[in-house]
Amino acid sequence: MGERHEGTVRRRTVLKGAVGALGLGSALAACGGSDSGGGTTSGGKAVVRMWSWYGEQEDQFPKLIEKFEAAHSNIKIENRVFGTPDQYLPALQAAVAGGDVPEIFAPHTRALTYGTGGISADLKKDLGDDFLKDFFDSANQEYTLDGKQYAVGWMAQTFGLFYNPDLLKRAGVGEDEIETWDDLIAAAAKIRATGKHPVALSCNPTTSSLDFFLPLITQVADDPTFYLKLDQLKDGTSYEDPKVVQAIELQKKIVKAGVFQPGTTGTSGDQAPQIFYTEKAAMLFNGSWTPQGLTKDATPAFNKKYKVMKTPAIAAGKKHWTANQAGAGWAVSETSKNKDAAIEFLKFMYSAEQYSPTMNDSNSMPATRSAADRIELPIMKQMTSWLIDGEGCPHIPFGPGSVAAGDPLAKIFDGTGDPAAVAKEMQQAVQNAKGG
Amino acid sequence: MATTLTREDVVRRSAERTSYRFGSPLRRSQRIAGYLFIAPTFLLFLAFVLWPILYTAYLSLTSWGGFGSPRFVNFDNYTRMLNDPVARRAMVVTLVLTGVTTAILTFLGLVAAVLVNVIWPKVGVVVRTILFIPGIVSFVVSAVLWKLIYDPNIGTLNRLLGAIGLDSLQHPWLADHRTVLPAIIVVTVWGGLGFNMLIYFAGLQSIDPNLYEAAAMDGANTLQQFRHITVPSLRVVTGLIVSLGLLNGFKAFDVIFVMTGGGPNHHSEVLGTYLYSLAFGTTSGSIPQLGYASAFSVVTMVLCTLAVIAQLWLTRRADR
Amino acid sequence: MSNRWVGKSFATFVLLPFCLLMAFPFVWMLLTSMREQNTIFNGPIIPRKFTVTAYKDAWTSIEFPLHFWNSLWITSVTVIGVLVFATLSGYAFAKLQFPFRNTLFVLLLTTLMMPSTALIIPLYLELKSLGLLDTQTGLLVLYISGSAPFAMFLMRAFFQTLPDELIEAARVDGGSELTIFRRVILPLTRPGIATVVIFQFLQTWNEFLIANTVLRNTDALPLQPVLFTLMGQYSTNWPALTAGLTLSVVPVVIVYVRMQRQFVAGMMLGAVKN
Repeated sequence: MGERHEGTVRRRTVLKGAVGALGLGSALAACGGSDSGGGTTSGGKAVVRMWSWYGEQEDQFPKLIEKFEAAHSNIKIENRVFGTPDQYLPALQAAVAGGDVPEIFAPHTRALTYGTGGISADLKKDLGDDFLKDFFDSANQEYTLDGKQYAVGWMAQTFGLFYNPDLLKRAGVGEDEIETWDDLIAAAAKIRATGKHPVALSCNPTTSSLDFFLPLITQVADDPTFYLKLDQLKDGTSYEDPKVVQAIELQKKIVKAGVFQPGTTGTSGDQAPQIFYTEKAAMLFNGSWTPQGLTKDATPAFNKKYKVMKTPAIAAGKKHWTANQAGAGWAVSETSKNKDAAIEFLKFMYSAEQYSPTMNDSNSMPATRSAADRIELPIMKQMTSWLIDGEGCPHIPFGPGSVAAGDPLAKIFDGTGDPAAVAKEMQQAVQNAKGG
Repeated sequence: MATTLTREDVVRRSAERTSYRFGSPLRRSQRIAGYLFIAPTFLLFLAFVLWPILYTAYLSLTSWGGFGSPRFVNFDNYTRMLNDPVARRAMVVTLVLTGVTTAILTFLGLVAAVLVNVIWPKVGVVVRTILFIPGIVSFVVSAVLWKLIYDPNIGTLNRLLGAIGLDSLQHPWLADHRTVLPAIIVVTVWGGLGFNMLIYFAGLQSIDPNLYEAAAMDGANTLQQFRHITVPSLRVVTGLIVSLGLLNGFKAFDVIFVMTGGGPNHHSEVLGTYLYSLAFGTTSGSIPQLGYASAFSVVTMVLCTLAVIAQLWLTRRADR
Repeated sequence: MSNRWVGKSFATFVLLPFCLLMAFPFVWMLLTSMREQNTIFNGPIIPRKFTVTAYKDAWTSIEFPLHFWNSLWITSVTVIGVLVFATLSGYAFAKLQFPFRNTLFVLLLTTLMMPSTALIIPLYLELKSLGLLDTQTGLLVLYISGSAPFAMFLMRAFFQTLPDELIEAARVDGGSELTIFRRVILPLTRPGIATVVIFQFLQTWNEFLIANTVLRNTDALPLQPVLFTLMGQYSTNWPALTAGLTLSVVPVVIVYVRMQRQFVAGMMLGAVKN
């Protein structure tokens, strides 16, 4: 009897407490949350929200913001860095759906769609041609459609063939030997004979395979704007174009020659470098963000020895056409009240005194020529020089549905598939995806 | 001294009241209390569950990029689903993974609970905690950990196999389409076993031990006792566990997305991962396809509803 | 007697490797949190050098204490809220008679049938129109609405095991249904409550996607979304991430161990009563 009473009292108190806590909690939370709820002004200042996943500059952003706010007392910058694009995109899309776009945001491959949809601003107007001409052509072109530019490049990327000199030497391959694809195929045979994989490559998800394949199209066409047209299926360009089919045939030849590790379609973007720095592969086809990762993940000894070379060319003496664009860029919200403040901050970030040190300190490749001139990290300097030499070509599908071309291509990487048929499937897939 | 109510008194008195005339005070107070008690939960449900579900169903009839107005396309999304090879693959993989995982989890959960029940109580507490620990972290975390273990080059699994001389068994577990599904099943079972074991364990506690003693005296051995006392007594619990397993399977997303992203080349694609890719994925390309993705949500909902209805129907029969 | 002993030993023998398998990934996680980043994939499984810099890293670089407190607050309020809603409605569905009872119950169960990824944008839009976006209240409301039905399901199953005679006797004694609920039923629901607390705490503590989308101000974020910012697109700070995860698991383990005792004790009580 007594125990039951005790239990009752306890339960009643718990219930009362629960209801009280809920009420109190809501009240407190409402107090706490309402400061930033929905408003774009905070204490009279214009709030500029900046959203991205650019963890590379995580340490640099606060410093930039501090300097800027000191000089502009009426603007407050709220920076939010997400972990990966998969963590970022749902939040961004929800904000876009709610009509609540952050003032400055990383547009990812949505850059052109949001631009034509009126979400992001035409930066040709807002920043002006003078500002934009310092950027690499490829960085500007990828974000441009019908004469309007909807984003600017923040971190440029170039792809190259990172290599382990020791393993090449062991296989009897000279560092300067590999100029064309045929050279690479010959070297691959020698490397495999030593029990190592020649080139580590990631094709999971299938879009990563496009990083390798799309430049082949440019190599065949010898014109970087060809893919830009194909991306938009403009002027009747189609994947069944003989240039594309030839590129697929070349891709098939490279795969069949055993250049890559088995199971590329199952190797994800973080796994391919691992194969490289654990010295199971002699080379790695990856982008210019790789050195930053290697400094953290690989042993100091490895970091001292690896080097990088250009993507092989289609024939001796031809341009190499290394993949480069700026996958990381900034777009500005067209509809925000604080758009002008946002543009102010953007100009500040790219100013000569800020942009170059920011990029240098984070071992990242800048998207402007002037900043590129001042890069210090040797391997980054080398890769950027290819950009400056004009070797860059597109590797990111921005057009509606273009990404769907990756799936049919996977067959080639798995060793099956006939190039003409695959080309047809790519065209089909892209057109289907466009309709969604 | 209060009069002690005997059981007969209670039964007689309640029988007197069982002529539940509509509107009788007893019936009415129950009705009022019933609706009152469920009102808070129900209101929240209407506002924050039902409305989003209806909105999603509406979106599934549109084509929408996430800005501007959705464009009405009637049932185009559903016909597109029927013709989409990835969607078909996703449906098959979902059903297979869900079926196998649920079966294994139910069986192993019971076995684990029985074993834990048998051993010394103090050891039992420790074992129960250890078995439950995988469920303590989110699915994302388990997927991340296991992805590293499965890594073909530096992962612990292959390294262990190499260390004990079983080099030939080394595999790119998540990259080979023959091993990717079993690999995923292992991770799902690993994460869900503790939960099932705990529920079954609780269920086992509520079985009257006298039943076992009586059966033992009648000469039944352990296995017979298990089949004829334990299993039937746990029918309701089993129904609960099976339906939860099915629900979780149909909605599965986190583990697979983090470990394989649906790869290699869609061999581990399920409804949940494809839905996510279409709506938010970096692989959905430049235009999010929220309308089409919503159609997948609706399909998932239908599957789940069927599973729940089947379970409720089956356990109701058991009560009879 | 010795039969029992053999049975127990056999069971332990079978369970032991299982336990090792269950615990292994966590052991790996713990080891990784205490080693240098460039030895994770290169070096031996057991690191030669141990270091706790990762813990310091995780503590400072992502403002661990702030977000830990956020998580604690949000999770506790959610658990209490869910308990209140779930016990009330679970009892009603189990023991009270009213028209459309079963239909309403199945309707509420539809909550369990939607993949949460699909609901992100509708929920965002709804919170926005209610002015609850970017507030912890909004998040709490979403959490409780989404979780109460499952807890209710568990509680209902639990209440169904209580004998009807108990309630009939209480009704004969007089008193409103609410009084009966408070005085007679609640004291007996300890194992049910313990179960709900364990699972709800665990589920809310680990939630990521909704919090990440609905809260825009980073100061209000709970722990999980912030922890995962340590995973980058191209490279991840594994030691810091695993250190943070190890720390974040501690409260859940504490809750589990504490509730487990009540849970099992209650179950045994229920068996004796029966």
